Order: sequence, then structure tokens, then C-alpha cells
Amino acid sequence: MEFRTIIEPFRIKSVEPIGLSTEAQRVQLLKEAHYNPFLLRSADVIIDLMTDSGTSAMSAHQWAGIMEGDEAYAGSRSWVRMERAVQELTGMPHVLPTHQGRAAERIVYGHLGGPGKVFISNTHFDTTRANIEFSGATAIDIPIPEGQDTALDHPFKGNMDVGELDRLLKLHQGKVGAVILTVTNNSGGGQPVSLANAEGVSAICKRHGAVLMLDCCRIAENSWFVKHREDGMEQLSYRAIAQRMFALADGAVMSAKKDAFANIGGFLAFKDAALAEACTNLLIITEGFTTYGGLAGRDMEAIAIGLEEVFDPHYLNYRIRSTAFLGDQLHKLGVPLMRPIGGHAVYIDAKKLYPHIPPDQYPGQALVSELFRLGGIRSVEIGSVMFGTYAADGSLQPSRMELVRLAIPRRVYTQSHIEYVAEAFEGIMAGREGVKGMRIVKEPQFLRHFTAHFEPLT
Amino acid sequence: MTTREQREEALREAGHNTFLLHSDDVYIDLLTDSGTSAMSDRQWAGMMLGDEAYAGSRNFYHLEAAIQQHYGYKHVIPTHQGRGAENLISRILIKPGDIVPGNMYFTTTKLHQELAGGTFADIIVDEAHDAYSSFPFKGNVDLGKLQALIDAHGPERIPYVSIATTVNMAGGQPISLQNLKDLRALTAKHGIRLIHDMTRVAENAYMIKLLEEGQGERTVADIVLEICSLTDGATMSAKKDALVNIGGFLATNEWDVYEEARNQVVIYEGLHTYGGLAGRDMEAMAIGIAESVGEDHIRARVGQVFYLGRKLQEAGIPIVQPIGTHGIFLDAKAFLPHLAQTDFPAQALAAELYLDSGVRAMERGIVSAGRDKDTGENCLPELELVRLTIPRRVYTQAHMDVVAESVIRVHDRRESITGLRMVYEPKYLRFFQAQFEKP
Repeated sequence: MEFRTIIEPFRIKSVEPIGLSTEAQRVQLLKEAHYNPFLLRSADVIIDLMTDSGTSAMSAHQWAGIMEGDEAYAGSRSWVRMERAVQELTGMPHVLPTHQGRAAERIVYGHLGGPGKVFISNTHFDTTRANIEFSGATAIDIPIPEGQDTALDHPFKGNMDVGELDRLLKLHQGKVGAVILTVTNNSGGGQPVSLANAEGVSAICKRHGAVLMLDCCRIAENSWFVKHREDGMEQLSYRAIAQRMFALADGAVMSAKKDAFANIGGFLAFKDAALAEACTNLLIITEGFTTYGGLAGRDMEAIAIGLEEVFDPHYLNYRIRSTAFLGDQLHKLGVPLMRPIGGHAVYIDAKKLYPHIPPDQYPGQALVSELFRLGGIRSVEIGSVMFGTYAADGSLQPSRMELVRLAIPRRVYTQSHIEYVAEAFEGIMAGREGVKGMRIVKEPQFLRHFTAHFEPLT
Repeated sequence: MTTREQREEALREAGHNTFLLHSDDVYIDLLTDSGTSAMSDRQWAGMMLGDEAYAGSRNFYHLEAAIQQHYGYKHVIPTHQGRGAENLISRILIKPGDIVPGNMYFTTTKLHQELAGGTFADIIVDEAHDAYSSFPFKGNVDLGKLQALIDAHGPERIPYVSIATTVNMAGGQPISLQNLKDLRALTAKHGIRLIHDMTRVAENAYMIKLLEEGQGERTVADIVLEICSLTDGATMSAKKDALVNIGGFLATNEWDVYEEARNQVVIYEGLHTYGGLAGRDMEAMAIGIAESVGEDHIRARVGQVFYLGRKLQEAGIPIVQPIGTHGIFLDAKAFLPHLAQTDFPAQALAAELYLDSGVRAMERGIVSAGRDKDTGENCLPELELVRLTIPRRVYTQAHMDVVAESVIRVHDRRESITGLRMVYEPKYLRFFQAQFEKP
């Protein structure tokens, strides 16, 4: 018999209780957190869809690995195991462990960047952009135009615009820090990148002598889309597809907190020994020695095991299909969404949901607050709060899109949790016209979305 | 267990640098006490209570409360380890051209100060540089040296004085409570902050209890709180005293410093409620902090180090006096008097000890001291040491006996030990990755 129902391909060995709150309590909690979900306490959240980063449930096998951690400062067995797992997956001989992905980015983009340098990506994520700009370099996003239209159906909306890449590499000859291909494309809606697009990008980079870095934190999820959407790829395994993509790049940066199911960790991998050595010098200063990079031995064990587990076809099928399940539920309710649904998250188009709220009143942030008030659901704005900048006259230069991300932690929630989220959106749709925008009361210079304070407009 | 032939091969591959040995090839690992502690059953239970939420994890609030309770600092920013906190405090407080006085340098601390544009100035008492002075508080500050710096540069060029408890590079030596009080009075007069490098504060407090007049009846927990209360903020590698395998924090009583750290930590470490740590690791740290100030624990901890030290002293091995709290420091200059300091005697001795028994130790001498940042010449530290660092709660007395036997055996044939030549030298913190050959 063929089943419609996609079951979670695991059962639950250990449970973490959720504290339930009332709407009246949540109104107060929101106020105390200055309407910023990053300032809410985890204990006050019912369903936490803020991020899929570091929030995965580890497997029993990974927990066993945790018990086997070798905590030697230098030359730990657990490091040898992780190094081998990364080398075998990426085909890159030089591997540097880091405490998480942003540290890896800071090291490599700090080294390749600096004032006057240019970085080009399908879309830079928030921490990536911050690291690049912090070094004095400029970050340019060149997603394909189809990626900008939230309602348009296109199989590979994460693709990079190769024509534009060619033009930019000519224009900025000698000043390019790196080209960064992020798979899947997080800020652009968790959308996949095709192997053909990656091949095109790689060929252009080679022609111009530009370094191509693969941001591979969701490469297994990307491989699922390639196998099922790209011609001629059906016969390849998910892992083989990932390996083809790694073969096209000069280096890779990974936050292991996503597809490696780890709660902490990341790495850099390089084909070139000189680049690896330069990064190693920086690694030791801020992260830790080369054989632990700021990680406990046990976490390196968990990463090595996670990198194997993630390519399990049953897992990937469940993962992609269950994310789509939430998207389909919301689509049926008429919630304006990024289509088609990406691998790790559902992206709500807040600009369309709240057409009466202009970008400088942050419609995405307003939706984030509403979701918490109604259902205790924590989400995150990916729009003008995260990416907006100020012009010289102090006016907001808004982001191209005003999205809210519902990121699904891996192996954590069940179908009934997801149905609860969909139910909360019934309330969102019913009350959409009465929702007011927000204003920023206080903000830091970099990465303001993490700590800024907001107030609802009256 | 390995054979001598296997160890010869492993040491050659590691370029005579114990940092480059594989853990599998090591029998007793005394490279460091950092991150190598055994956690308690309660800490392991805490590991299972990890709340891995990206923002506002329960474990963060537990950690914050533990730091406030046991150390007394107001504001807390977790970091993935100690050097993450050093990076933040250096960037926030140091301006180019500043002077940062401290009770002896530490490798990563000094480097972060220099990268932020500052210059480290040593204000430790002279006794600290004499391996055989039996002065009980070799971690003390020479207030005259500090006063001279203030007179020469003005207090506005000194963003803070960095105070380590205990002083690692001096051989794990404590600072006295009285000296810290006098230092506090002097710096307060000039409006200079005290930043506390508190990685082994409980061990320091225990030495105060043992040796300082009028302190014998107090609890270690109480002395720890008083030490912290005399400073304005702290960096902590929780991988030492706090009994965890990973983690650290920045603590401060100043709101402005906290706010700036909260903005910057996101760039380097992670959001300010996890700082690059898994939730479970913050939980283990919170529990470890409480355990670290327990009387029975600290007595057994320091007692084990003293046990090994006394065994070596009885056998006539030259070691730094008095015995420090986290390890035994062999005096390589006295151990191998036939070698010049530029023959890297401590590096050679650490290699020899590994060959003899598979015991891994660490060089703390000319290689660790690096080069002068202006002249590019090798710094030649007074102390040329090999550190036998004892991980907390990991090894037994029988393991310590094996270590003592091996050191004594190497000492018996010390005259046959030759020096080394450096064949690879990295740009920063060279001791980690440098490679050597027998000429």
C-alpha cells in the first residue's frame, strides 16, 4: 500500500516539556522583550520556529558519540574522526574546525576581504554580510530575477544570476574577495540552487580567477531538490550530488548547526594549502588550536556522525515533505508565501499580508509579534529590520522583500505541532487589517535585529 | 600504550612538538588542564537538560545566576572559550597606544592586547621570575612598577590592569588578598579598572586560605567572592576551574561595557544568550562553577598536584618553587644546564619525556614567549619551563607515580639530551604549531 502520510522516520526517546502560556501572559512578555523575539526567554515560547540552526534533535547514535568525546587539547581522536568525515564528503584535504559557522566566515572572509574588496553571492545571509562589511568590503547580492517574485513558481529560485556574475567579475577585476554560493539560499527563501547553475558559476569564476566558496550548511536539503527537480539527476544519490557541488568550489564554509544536526560547531574546508594556512593563523587567535577550533571533542564526534545521517533518503524525504506540509496548509488559508516552499523554512510575504503597513514600519516585525501573541510561536523577520540601511538623510532604504521566516528545527516537532502553527494563522488572517506597524526605539550599529528594541505604533 | 619505537616515529611526525601529537599516541596527557577535566555525574545530568533555543535559553539564565552568586559580577556574556572573552574585552577597552599592565603575560591574553593596539607591561613582583624563590605569593603585583607606569604614561593611557588568578606563566602562583586590596586602592585613586583573568580563581583562593594570615578560617567560596569584588570585570576560561570541556565568559559590573560587548559578541561568538556555546554546555558550566568552590574538591585538586611536586622535589628534580596549583613546572635551564636557551631546552625536555613514557607535557619558555613585536627578535624569558599540567579529576595517584618515575629516569640521563633547531615557525602563537629537528 502507498501511504499519503509521511511519518517521522524516528521515534522519541527523550522528551523536553513545553511550558504553555496564556495570551494575556504573552502580551506582557512581548512588552518586556521590546517586541524583539531574540530577547524572549526560551521558556516562554510554545513552538520555537526562530531558527533551524543548532536546534536539531540529535540521534541516539550522536548522543553515544557525545559520550565518546576525546577532550585532549591537541590531536583528539574525535578531531581525527571529524576531519575524515569532512574530507570524505567535500573532497577537500584541508579542514579547520570552528565553534560555529560565523567564526568560519569571519576567518576566511576577513582574510580575503578588507577595504575595497567585493564579495558576490546569490544572497548574503545576515552574519555573512556583517562579517564582510565589518572587514571594510562590500557585499553584492545577485539572485536570479525569478527569486525576487514570491508568488512565481520556479524550481531553482536560489540560483545565481550568471550573466550578472560575469559582468561584475569583469567590472571588479582584481578586487573580488570571493564569490559565495549558498546552498540552499537562505535569505532568498530557503530556495535550492541547481547543479547546472553551480557549474555555470564555477566556470565563470575559473575564467576570472575568482575564489568560489560554497556555503554548504544546507547542502543535503539542496541535494534533495536537485535529485527530484533537475534533469538527469534522478539516478544519483543525495550524497553524490553534494559531492559534485563540492568539486566545483575552491573551499567550503559550513555551520554544522544545520544539516549536520549538531547543536554547536562548524568548519572551513579548502583545496588550497596556502589559503588554509593563512586561515589557520587566524583560527588559533580567536577560536582555538587547529585540532579543536573551540569545540569540545564530543561535539566533533556529533558532527562526524551527523554528516553521515543527513544523507539518509528517508530522512531527507520526510524533511522536505514536512516543510512543504506547513507551506501547503498556509497556502490553503490564503497566507501569501514564498513559492515554491524551500527546504528548511516557510517564508511569509509580510508586505502582501499587511499591505497597509509601509516598509519603514516593519510589517515583518509586526507579524512576528502577532504570531507570538496569538500562539506563543517564535519566528524571525527577514526584511528591512535585518537588511535595511539608512540613507544619508536618515530615511530607511528598505530590503527588497519583507519576509517572516518560520524555520523548522530538524527532528524536533511532530505533525500536530505544525497543525497548531497553521491554526494560529487562521487568527492572523482574521485579524490582518487591524494590525499596526512598529518603530525602532534603540539599535546597535551592526546586526541590529538581534538586540534592537521596538514599539508598536498606535 | 605504545612502544618506544612507536613514540620515536610519532614524535618525528609531530616535529618534536607535543602539541602536534595525536591523542591516541599519548599515555598520560599532561599537556594542559584546559578543557580536559572530567565532568561530574551532576554535570552530565545537566548536559541532558540542554535548552538549545537560539535566544533566551534557560541554561543561559542558570549560568548568569551561578556567576552572580559565586563570583558576584553583575552582567554576563558567554563566549565559546576564554580567548573569545579576551578578544571582546581587548577590542572594547584598548585604544592604539595604550599600555596594559598585568601580573605576567599569558600567550593569548598578550596577543589580543597587541592586536587591539595595546602594549603589555609586566608588573609582577621580581620573585616571580626567580624559579627558586620560596616567596608564597609570587603572583603579587609590584605596586612600585605600576606607579612608575602611571607616572610615565598617565592613567588615561592605561585602560585597565589585568590581574590573573593564579599566574600560569609564573608556575601557577597565587596573588595574595592583601596585595589585591593594595592594588585596588592604588588603581581606584587613578580611576583605572581592574580586569580579572579568573580562570583559576578557586585555586588561588585556596592558597590564600592556606598561606595568608587571618584567612585560614574562611571558606574558599567566600574568598573567591571577595577577590572578584575587588575587580570591575573578568574574563574566564571555564575550561579550567569551572570543570567544563568547553566554554568561557566575559563578566562586568559596568553597563556600558556590557552593552558594547553584547553588540560585538554577535559578530565573533554568537547571540549574547549563547555566545557560541550549546545550551547543555552553559548548564554544565553553571553546575561546574558551584562545584569548583567546594572545599573537598579544591583540597583534593591542589593536594594531588602537591603530591607529584613533593615526589619530584625529594628526588632532587629542579622544579619551580613553591609548587603551583595546577601543575608542576620543571626548570629546563637547571635540568639541562649544558644547553643554551636558543637550543630550546624546554622543548627538548618535553620531547624527551614523551619518548621515555608517553607522558605529554608542554613547553613554557622561549618558544611560547615568541618574538618581540618591534624588533622581531626572540624574547628570552627568565623562566624556561616544562609544564606538567594536571587535568582535574582525571588521573589517580598511580598515574602520578608513573609520571614521577619517568621524570626521574630522564633526569638520570640528562647529560645525553641534546637541543633542537626550529624548522617551521608560524606567524602567531608559534608554540602551537612550530616544528623542530634534532641538529
